[in-house]
Amino acid sequence: MAVYNDFFGPYGGRYVAELLRGPLDELEAAFKEAMDDDGFLKELNRFGKEYIGRPTPLLYAEKASKAVGGADIYIKLEGLANTGAHKINNAAGQALLAKRMGKSRIIAETGAGQHGVATAAVCARLGLECRVYMGSEDIKRQRPNVFLMEMFGAEVFPVESGSKTLKDAVNEALRDWASSSADTHYLIGSALGPSPYPDMVREFQSVIGKEVKAEQEKRKLQVRAMVACVGGGSNAIGFFEPFIHSGTPRLIGAEAGGTGPEEGCHAARMTGEGRTGVIQGYKSRFLFDGDGQVLHTHSISAGLDYPGIGPQLAHLGDTGRIEFTSVRDDEALEALRFFASNEGIIFALESAHAGAAGLKIAEQYKPGEAVIINMSGRGDKDIFITAKALQRDKWFDFLNEETKNG
Amino acid sequence: MADGNIVMTHLVAGYPNLEESRLAALAMVAGGASYLEVQFPFSDPIADGPLIQGACTDALNEGFSTDKGFEFLASLTAETDVPVFLMTYGNLLMAPGVENFVERAAESGVAGLIIPDLPYDYDEGLYEAGKKAGIPVVPVVIPGIDEERLNAVLGMTPPFIYTAVRKGITGARTTIGEDTVAFLDKLSRSGAKVLAGFGIREKEQVDLLAPHVHGTVVGSALVEIIGRCAEEKRACSGEVKAFVESLI
Ligand SMILES: Cc1ncc(COP(=O)(O)O)c(C=O)c1O
Repeated sequence: MAVYNDFFGPYGGRYVAELLRGPLDELEAAFKEAMDDDGFLKELNRFGKEYIGRPTPLLYAEKASKAVGGADIYIKLEGLANTGAHKINNAAGQALLAKRMGKSRIIAETGAGQHGVATAAVCARLGLECRVYMGSEDIKRQRPNVFLMEMFGAEVFPVESGSKTLKDAVNEALRDWASSSADTHYLIGSALGPSPYPDMVREFQSVIGKEVKAEQEKRKLQVRAMVACVGGGSNAIGFFEPFIHSGTPRLIGAEAGGTGPEEGCHAARMTGEGRTGVIQGYKSRFLFDGDGQVLHTHSISAGLDYPGIGPQLAHLGDTGRIEFTSVRDDEALEALRFFASNEGIIFALESAHAGAAGLKIAEQYKPGEAVIINMSGRGDKDIFITAKALQRDKWFDFLNEETKNG
Repeated sequence: MADGNIVMTHLVAGYPNLEESRLAALAMVAGGASYLEVQFPFSDPIADGPLIQGACTDALNEGFSTDKGFEFLASLTAETDVPVFLMTYGNLLMAPGVENFVERAAESGVAGLIIPDLPYDYDEGLYEAGKKAGIPVVPVVIPGIDEERLNAVLGMTPPFIYTAVRKGITGARTTIGEDTVAFLDKLSRSGAKVLAGFGIREKEQVDLLAPHVHGTVVGSALVEIIGRCAEEKRACSGEVKAFVESLI
């Protein structure tokens, strides 16, 4: 039986203007009822199997392990899920819930675009109208995903306010929902926002951790550590969920260290200057200045470039159950290259942060002991960023040719 | 108090800059505003529409800070007898500490605090701090609010209640229906002074609301005028004063 929380230690809650209160109350009631209904859980399970492609594999990364010479490295390949990332687990769960609530329209926000793509895809499949809010800066950075969302029939709505990135897309989506909740569900993409979102997203993502646990038992793995990247924190909390309440293994969250520790150059809320605040409807650790104004953030991966973190992760960080570390842009790129050449796997840039942290952790253990890295997504979407970073000249020649021929 | 309609006018402190916003506030008073609602800009004002968010962004880019905001309030409350309410978002209180922020608001002569994302059941100690500092916290409600929640709010016997006259965010024009009027009457019967706003931009609307509320709040329409003047690089006082006069 799942445990639902309004607060996780001091964090969480429902710090919203009265106009969002009603829709949140309605959602909470519907969510709890659905999670108690075998019919709903079966439908979700079948959707996972037939459409998402679950369970995703747990790969023994033999060559990588030998190269490191420490623990046996395993990689949970969430990137093999339909649409290329773990985001689909949550999108499917919430969209099925929305349908059950009689909603005909879905709105979502997206940064990297993975959540938008997943949401647009399930909406196409379930026959729901879909609008995705996306900062105009992110639209520029993530054109391939915009194209995919539009293929699925979603309307991608450019957000021009504030810093024109993910947090501004969240603001726009909340505004839309404030006046549209009668027929519209707001499908939040990470384990954050006002309650019940952190609980709901964790439950829908916990399928990742449950599959890992089943494989661990089947293969009798001595798991010492599990590593996930942390943007808002949905892949991490879903991956960790079945292990949180026991003392082992070590759980490690990798935040975006960006280009360095200077203000505005990273998104390190737990390892950096994050402070307790109330923003976008929930209380957690955020990056803001002395007056409470939200700071700009940076990461090479748009999916980690968010000034807040899910309240449960913040709490587990404070209590020490989850250790946080930060990984710089260049270290993530190096991990991307390492796993590509050693294992034939292209990590998403977000997940490459977990990859980089995982390689370091693995050095602390011996063969026979396992370290599991969550590859939350695959890197196809990042090709315009990674190719430019890793093969600048060849990539520009190619793009030049393409535009000439177009 | 004014003879005609009671109007609370809204402005964003520091928009387009501190001096212009001070002149705008004084023009509102000259035009007959009975209350001023001064918004401290926040980077993520989720209950506001694009217009006010844009004004907040501009004010922050102009260098608005909480310190400057309190100086602004202190000079305003020294210069006019019209009560000044401070509206902002919770994180501006969280950063220095809620109690600290509320004390400073009291020192700057503020008559009340409006913090929409710190409702009574997630208030971070705001109501208690308000009591201690002697400034009322003004709860924000909406038509269609859950009965139990409304009773809880009214149970605190707040001297003022702020209500939207429709669901949604600030900005677009509102049509006022019978349900809304019935809700406003119910609020007014509680004994609290009801301030109603969101999408009010014409005298016709103000007249319609006046018998059912203590005062009407006019925001985006004024922010728009101030913005237009700034863009065209001309003084806004005359236009702001005339607009407020037209509502009363
Ligand atoms: C592949 C991938 N991993 C991780 C994230 C970060 O999200 P979260 O921290 O919620 O898992 C994203 C976000 O877009 C993503 O696309």
